[in-house]
Amino acid sequence: MPNLRLIQAEVLKLRRRRGMLAVAVGLTLGLMAVAYLVTAIQHGGNPAKYGPAGGAKGFTDSLQFLSVMGFIMAAIVGSTAGSQDIDSGVFRDLAATGRSRTALFLARVGGAWVVVLSILAVTLAADLAGAFAFADGTATPGGSDILQAAAMTLASGALGAALAVGLAALFGSRGPVIGILIAAHLVFEPQLQNVGFLGVARKAIPNSALNRIGDQATSGLDYKLALGTAIAVVLAWIAAALVAGAWRTKTREI
Amino acid sequence: MTSPTPIDPGSLAIHTQGLGKRFGARAALDGVDLEVPRGVAFGFLGANGAGKTTLIRLLLGLARPTSGTMRLLGRDLPAGSAEALARVGAIIEEPRFHPHLTGRENLHVHAAARDRAAHDRIDGALARVGLAARADEKLKTYSLGMRQRLGVARCLLSDPELLILDEPMNGLDPACILEFRNLIRELVAEGRTVLLSSHLLDEVEKTCDIVAIVDDGRVVAQGSIHEITRGGQRAIDIVAHNAVEAATLLAAVPGVLRATDHEGGLRVTLSPEAPVDREIVTALLRRLLDNGVDVERVAPVRSSLEDRFLTMTTRLEDRS
Repeated sequence: MPNLRLIQAEVLKLRRRRGMLAVAVGLTLGLMAVAYLVTAIQHGGNPAKYGPAGGAKGFTDSLQFLSVMGFIMAAIVGSTAGSQDIDSGVFRDLAATGRSRTALFLARVGGAWVVVLSILAVTLAADLAGAFAFADGTATPGGSDILQAAAMTLASGALGAALAVGLAALFGSRGPVIGILIAAHLVFEPQLQNVGFLGVARKAIPNSALNRIGDQATSGLDYKLALGTAIAVVLAWIAAALVAGAWRTKTREI
Repeated sequence: MTSPTPIDPGSLAIHTQGLGKRFGARAALDGVDLEVPRGVAFGFLGANGAGKTTLIRLLLGLARPTSGTMRLLGRDLPAGSAEALARVGAIIEEPRFHPHLTGRENLHVHAAARDRAAHDRIDGALARVGLAARADEKLKTYSLGMRQRLGVARCLLSDPELLILDEPMNGLDPACILEFRNLIRELVAEGRTVLLSSHLLDEVEKTCDIVAIVDDGRVVAQGSIHEITRGGQRAIDIVAHNAVEAATLLAAVPGVLRATDHEGGLRVTLSPEAPVDREIVTALLRRLLDNGVDVERVAPVRSSLEDRFLTMTTRLEDRS
């Protein structure tokens, strides 16, 4: 099993990648700040036409964006965590210590989660602060709104990171993993959600599960998920990614 | 094949029997029997592609053998690999690191995969390889020699009983090679075992106590350097007046295979069953002097490790 020292080492490796961290923070916190700023300027210029940037509605509107960008950010961080030892050639030396390869793999997942969920937690906090600061007298998010937002955002990040680490172990490099995950999340999953003949199988699509966890509108979809099913779907995808990645890490000849 | 005196398997750092590894139809290793005693510098010699790195990968659990058995520090592999590898430090081909981390951070990353005490050994290991002053600089600023030294520091984090160094002197300048050689001898003096895989024959001869020569996936010779070189061709160089007559006279001496021109003199090649050097030298000199041929110089030719290696291994052109 991964121990704390291995996870700390993974976090160190990710933390020292300044460029990647800048992109990760820019995609989440940075873009959200820009969105708030633009909407606030529009609202200030024409309050009748544009609603306030914050408030309960602004907060809900920002969630879908945060979930998608959080997933993409997680894919970038996770694929880096999953591939950097192999890319640099260090994995061979780590495996030669006799430490279980499964533990080495799971530490990558742990490290990616620490970084991804930290960034998302800060972004969520900033989102919440913006929702209150820019409410302009409208209703502010309630406790359940906040809870659902946090659950959806963090689940999105955790899922994206786990899938990325697992796929990176399979592919052994970072680039294809980011491409596959972004294409799947932004293009294929929304299309699959509308393919009627797939029936209840569509409940297994991660997008559907994440939206249900966040209690987001699923307009146009002719199926519904129970919250428990949605959580189970996310956990199942995470488990599948971890099992596949651990298997490949364990059986890879290096 | 030269074989060493049988050794108690319990006193071996590495023991393989019939070890094989195939990649499809090609056998990278074919029935390798290797015995590395504890507390020695053991040279593992072979040309590029002979199977040296493959054997090291098998020992370190990085690949699986297709046949045979392995024991490392008294433990059967792969069952006991975690316990055995915890006391092994290894450099495989060239030492690799994360370039965006400093030397010290790279060691911290590696120490995390070792026992907790490995973190406490980082400063000592850096000092020992002379990198303490540059430890907080990023790896991408390190020269090849510094990376090799950091690789050794990484090996020392486990306080290893056995160090496996695969081509550690590749690309090093002469001063670095000398430092490396001294470091290996120091490590052996501390009671550690060093397996030094290399094709730099001169370095192995200067550094190691025992060698094994691997060729085309097989160990073709194994023993002390003296044992290995003793098995080489026996010859004596003689500089005499009237070389043509001398060659004819010497070729007729019992035990002489041939006498040929060699660097301004004659090289007298002896048959394997010829008497010991002192007797044959006397016989050769007597033959020349009795026939009125003056002799300027007589020198036995000592077979070097390089000579033996070249005799025993397949040339690249033969292989292709």
